[in-house]
Amino acid sequence: MEKENFEKKLENMTKPEIQGLKHEILLADAIINAKDKSVVSWWWLSVPAFVILMLMMKSIFMPGTTLISNIHEIESTQKYMSIIFFLISPLILIMINALTIKKIYFLSGSPKSIRFLGTIWYNVIIIILSLLILIIYSI
Amino acid sequence: MKFPWFKRIGIFFIPTSVAGWIILLFGIVFAVYSFLDIDGRSHSVSDTLMNFVFMLFIIGAVYSLIAFLTSRNHK
Repeated sequence: MEKENFEKKLENMTKPEIQGLKHEILLADAIINAKDKSVVSWWWLSVPAFVILMLMMKSIFMPGTTLISNIHEIESTQKYMSIIFFLISPLILIMINALTIKKIYFLSGSPKSIRFLGTIWYNVIIIILSLLILIIYSI
Repeated sequence: MKFPWFKRIGIFFIPTSVAGWIILLFGIVFAVYSFLDIDGRSHSVSDTLMNFVFMLFIIGAVYSLIAFLTSRNHK
C-alpha cells in the first residue's frame, strides 16, 4: 500500500520551477546595496569636503595663507580629527567602493561594455574624490 | 532584532520603526544642543554657522552609517 502511494506521488511529481535566477537576485541586491553604500560614503565625504571648502575660502580672504598651510595648521591643532576625516575615512571609502565595484563586475559576468559604468558611476566618483582628499592632505 | 529600521529615499534614510525614530530624534536633539553650545562660545554669526554646519555633517555621517547598518539585511 505504501509502495503504491509512493509511486503515485512520484508520478504526480513535477520538476521544481525556479521563478528567478539566483545570480540575478544577487546582482540586484548588490546594486541596491552599492547605492545605499554610496549614500553613506557621500555623507562621510561631505565632512572633509566642507573643511577643504572652508579652508579654501580662508586662503582666499586671508592674505599670506594657502590651502595647504591651512590644512597643516588643522593637522597640528586637531590631530585626531584630521587623521579620521582626511586619512582613515577616505581610505576606507576607497576600499569599500572598490570592493563593491568588483562584486558588481563579477556578478554582471565581467562585462566589457561602457554601459557597465552607468551602474557604478557614483562609486567611481566617490573613489576619485577620496583620492583627491588624500592627495590634498598628504601634500 | 527586527530590521529594517530605516528606508533610503535619495540621500536620506527615513525611519520606518520606533527604534529608527528614536535614533533620528536623538540626532536632532544632539544637533540643537550642539548649536546652543557652539553659539555660546562663538564670537560671530559666521563663526557659529561654520562650526555648526561642520557638526551637522558629522551627525549626518554617523546617522547615515547607523541607518545603513540597520536598514536591511546586508550580505
